[in-house]
Amino acid sequence: MTRRSPRGLRRELVVWLFLLPSLGIFLLYRILPLVWNGVLSLQKWSPFGTPRWAGLYHYEEMFLYDDVFWTSLWNTVVFMSSSPIAIALALALALLVHAPVRGRATYRTLIFLSYPLMTVAVGIIWRWLYDEKVGLLNYLLLSLGLTTRRIAFLDSFEWAMPSVIAAAVWQILGFFMIILLAGLQTIPSELYEAAAIDGADPRQRLLRITLPLLRPSIFLCLMIGIINSFTSFDLIYVMTRGGPNYATELLITYIYRAAFVLSKLDYAAALTVVLFLFLVALTWLANRAAGGEAGAVEAAE
Amino acid sequence: MKRAPTWPVHVALVGVSLVMLGPFYWVLKTSLTGENIFAYPPALLPVAPHVFYYVDVWYYIPFVRFLLNSAIVSTIVVLASTAFNAMAAYALTQPFRGKRAVILLLLSCMLIPFQATIVPAYLITKELGLLNSHLGLALPLCSTIICIFVFKASFDAVPRSLLDAARLDGLPEWRIILLIMLPLSTSAIATNVILSFIWSWNNFLWPLIVVRNEAMQTLPLGLSTFLSYLENTTGALYAFCVMVLAPGLLLFLLEQRRFIQGLTSGATKG
Repeated sequence: MTRRSPRGLRRELVVWLFLLPSLGIFLLYRILPLVWNGVLSLQKWSPFGTPRWAGLYHYEEMFLYDDVFWTSLWNTVVFMSSSPIAIALALALALLVHAPVRGRATYRTLIFLSYPLMTVAVGIIWRWLYDEKVGLLNYLLLSLGLTTRRIAFLDSFEWAMPSVIAAAVWQILGFFMIILLAGLQTIPSELYEAAAIDGADPRQRLLRITLPLLRPSIFLCLMIGIINSFTSFDLIYVMTRGGPNYATELLITYIYRAAFVLSKLDYAAALTVVLFLFLVALTWLANRAAGGEAGAVEAAE
Repeated sequence: MKRAPTWPVHVALVGVSLVMLGPFYWVLKTSLTGENIFAYPPALLPVAPHVFYYVDVWYYIPFVRFLLNSAIVSTIVVLASTAFNAMAAYALTQPFRGKRAVILLLLSCMLIPFQATIVPAYLITKELGLLNSHLGLALPLCSTIICIFVFKASFDAVPRSLLDAARLDGLPEWRIILLIMLPLSTSAIATNVILSFIWSWNNFLWPLIVVRNEAMQTLPLGLSTFLSYLENTTGALYAFCVMVLAPGLLLFLLEQRRFIQGLTSGATKG
């Protein structure tokens, strides 16, 4: 390499100067926390004294003695497994608003409307709909004769999780629909025409053309669903606070509780390590299963 | 080819639209009439609507204070992130040593969800003395990787010859960004502004951790605290809810196309 001219050096300096604020923020709020979090999970921490080394103490407690941890891990998996439902619904909607029907732009807007809203407000709205005494849902179910007794959706052990999931699906549905719609719009119409000439019925067209070509979009939705199940704090916190009796406690709400309600920051750090590794493992697995399509999605950005 | 009738499609879509809009209607109704929790059945249509609950909100809680906090934090985030992201993206369009490493670093940072960093992030903010401050609330959002790449893609599309000509004329780098790059990247700017605004305006977990006194609460935080107030503030709670949702909804309806575009391009951020 030739020696750099002072001008070139200056240019390079400017480049780093431009990168500085962003890199500083990522260092401060992504990389340093990740490292510190790992260290903290191996320490005994207290707000006053200096932290002491604790080895795998927190992990031992978590895996062997903490039932709430296992419950919240299981709940996170349940919450995650609801995303195929949301994706299937969104796919049906995307197909409907993709078809040339009048007013489809309006339908798209209405269905998407719930996504950019403040999740805290969405949680409060749904709490109100689920209300045992005057909730709209109980009223509808009673009037339609689908139930004879009012259901205390968010206070019942069996109903709390499905209820929270329904609210989460309600909010994300429009977003999935738009992603899938964008995928549908990239499928060339000639394919369908050729298939029609070959005598393929609508079911075959869906299974042989639409679904295979939509794979990247469906995969993107699935990834978002997975990440959501690890990060959906707002909705749960507002609707149930993880209750009743931990029925809706997710890993993320448990981390918050451990750290900022119980003041066990070290234990919360250990929980976070598990959450993060679990998330990375799942992302990696899903990516492998899809044949590295996540990379394709990222490149398409 | 015979066209299938479209009315079943309309029936299905109207049904879904009702499900999507129903909750809004119910909350709007409650905010205008309140709800007598001892009366059954609940009235489906608003009976004797009034706006007193909206007035109540102003008395129950320091609404203006919350609104101001939210506005200040969002303004810091929007301005800082647009500037920082554009600068970083411009740097990434230049050749320099260690560029690959920086890009790799950014891509791997994207895999770290903010929620997985809350405990040390709290400790760091505490060390910086930024708990209970607007800056502390805004700082983690002041640069977002996805937007850096949106900007980079837009900058990459600017013809090189234009930049070379500008350099020949002796324009300094910062003026090249201001006078050439940014005017040609309005859609990237819009994406950045919309995304960072939505993320900071709706942000709840971070304020919940960082804010320890009422004077610094933002709107979502105020809303969740209000939830634990007395039973008979029902009408006011939902009036508050409507007031918090209204600006976002309005903005969305006005800038719909850009919103949807921006939010889908921010998809991987989650």
